[in-house]
Amino acid sequence: MTPKKNVVVLSLASDFGCQVQMTNFPQLLEQLSSFNLVYWQLATKAPHASEYEVAIIEGAVTTDEHVELLKKVREQARIVIAIGACACTAGIPGLVNTRDLEESGQVVYGDDFKLIAPGHRSPAPVKDIIDVDFSVPGCPIEPLELSRTLQRALLELNDTPHLETLCAECKMNENPCFYKSGTACLGLVTRGGCNTLCVNRGRACAGCRGIAPDANIDAAREFARKFQLEDAFNEALDLYNATRKDA
Amino acid sequence: MALLNVNHVARIEGHGDITVQVEDGAVKDITMDVVEPARFFEAMVKGRTWQEAPLITSRICGICSINHAMTSILAIEDAFGIEVNERVSTMRQLLVYGSYLQNMATHLYILAAPDYLKMPDVFPLAQSNPEIIDRALGLKKLGNDLCTLVGGRPVHPTTAVPGGFTSEPTPDELHLFGTKLEEAVRDAAATVELFGEFSVPTLETKGDFISLVHDDTYATVGGSIHSLDKGWDRPISEYPQTFSESVVGHSNSKHVLCDGGLFMAGAIARVNNSWDKLLPSARVVASKVGMRPVNKNPFMNNICQAIEMVDATERCAHLCHELADDHSESTLPEPIIPREGIGYGATEAPRGTLYHTLAFDEQGRVTAGDVITPTAQNLANLESDMRTFAPTVVGLPQDEFITEVEQLVRAYDPCLSCAVH
Repeated sequence: MTPKKNVVVLSLASDFGCQVQMTNFPQLLEQLSSFNLVYWQLATKAPHASEYEVAIIEGAVTTDEHVELLKKVREQARIVIAIGACACTAGIPGLVNTRDLEESGQVVYGDDFKLIAPGHRSPAPVKDIIDVDFSVPGCPIEPLELSRTLQRALLELNDTPHLETLCAECKMNENPCFYKSGTACLGLVTRGGCNTLCVNRGRACAGCRGIAPDANIDAAREFARKFQLEDAFNEALDLYNATRKDA
Repeated sequence: MALLNVNHVARIEGHGDITVQVEDGAVKDITMDVVEPARFFEAMVKGRTWQEAPLITSRICGICSINHAMTSILAIEDAFGIEVNERVSTMRQLLVYGSYLQNMATHLYILAAPDYLKMPDVFPLAQSNPEIIDRALGLKKLGNDLCTLVGGRPVHPTTAVPGGFTSEPTPDELHLFGTKLEEAVRDAAATVELFGEFSVPTLETKGDFISLVHDDTYATVGGSIHSLDKGWDRPISEYPQTFSESVVGHSNSKHVLCDGGLFMAGAIARVNNSWDKLLPSARVVASKVGMRPVNKNPFMNNICQAIEMVDATERCAHLCHELADDHSESTLPEPIIPREGIGYGATEAPRGTLYHTLAFDEQGRVTAGDVITPTAQNLANLESDMRTFAPTVVGLPQDEFITEVEQLVRAYDPCLSCAVH
């Protein structure tokens, strides 16, 4: 029998929500036992291991220290898995990119900002710093998607990211379209695969899963314009996708 | 002088280090350094719409997400002058209690218990006493399921909005869940008994105990601020004058003082301040393990959380049946007209009181925000307790000494992603 792959769970700037999701589903913990869990600060006192094949990374890159850590991780790990909106798109921490970083620090810490975390940088997703093998989007992650990814990593299969936007899933769930009631919804451009969890419960999509590769942002904007919701659409797009490269 | 560093203390929520300076076998100084990187939430919300504010602040912390969302919702309602009905208030209580059960089961069994059992983590316990782990995971799942039932999912609720809820469970679902909660009361009581068996170091904190209190119920959502030592009650809107925040060099989290003095927030503050509002069954199990007010030992915070789980399971069972039987009121929000103004909100999170302020322009865009988290409130008091406690255990071998100090840190159930936001 081949030995189990060593796995580490690391977090950068985040709210820990995706790690909490991992602990919320005993099935996921069970699945993790197919690996040899060698470091997870949230769960155990064992020191950070130096040899591992798989790294699961939560959180956005916000400091020089994070960049150094990621470079080391990439040298060591054969498989890097980014989990959650923060790691995949810089998520909500990335919203700071829509304003001046220095000024934002001032708002929170005043003139004492210089005392706080030297080496602060504009938030970025993990893939902007190192190559990522698997991305599990969402804020927080969907347990089934992490489960699928762990399975694929275990078997050394490729990532098969969801390419389409949310709208088809919404139609199958028979949800009325938010645009018709005067609310902008990012389902038009957001990566599908969540079974429209928020919309099913009466909330418009906030775009936490990132922009779908198949999305046509210009067409979506055009659609929003018909409902006088173009500005609202653009503003909503910044919420989770402020670090997007195009449009 | 020897400098002892414990980097990235394990089994706590977030990244924090402990630094101890030892000279000739005596502790010269000890600090809790929160190294969690700042994300500048108070700057982030500026200019965003009122609808987005709870969604954004919820992401301060995935562990306390329900409290952050709820506290911002209260601040918005305060600013816009929105009143909600009894049914909405009850659903909100259920949501916060769901978070209590989820958080406290995790903290007590997975993060705190290994210290008392002299284990590095909870995994050996899963081998030796699987029934204890089954109980822990059962209570945690119960809390998650309650959050999902009311809030749409365990982390970052989707249904709770200013004015009410965008969807709500059916009467059948509520009855079914009420029955599950009734069955869980004994597991919560067994948790109190388990922690009652652990020997707890003797320590009396110097600080005051501050929590929300409510005339009619055990305070979780709203109420007024209460000081145990001074006896005063103040409205939530006076929290900015009551608490002062300061930046300290060694930590990315600010420290908070109350009227210039040290204090502790959390389950022990609530149990001390609202003892007579706990359900009788919770008071009985509390008394059996020697917890009666006034108790100022911060290590007892663990037991107080367990006591609150007994109260929460029984109380929520009752609330679920009540909501199922009487659905004359709707929880769907009425249309909201924003206005210029400032609003304050406060809720009790598993680890203490959470305060939010949101100010709006006439379009309902956020012009300023303020967040004071329970962990930030507790840090100065924790360091004070560490300075009292560390010299009493400094004679132990180094790894045992560190474990003892970490045990004190964990008793506070700190949440460092909250503390630095």
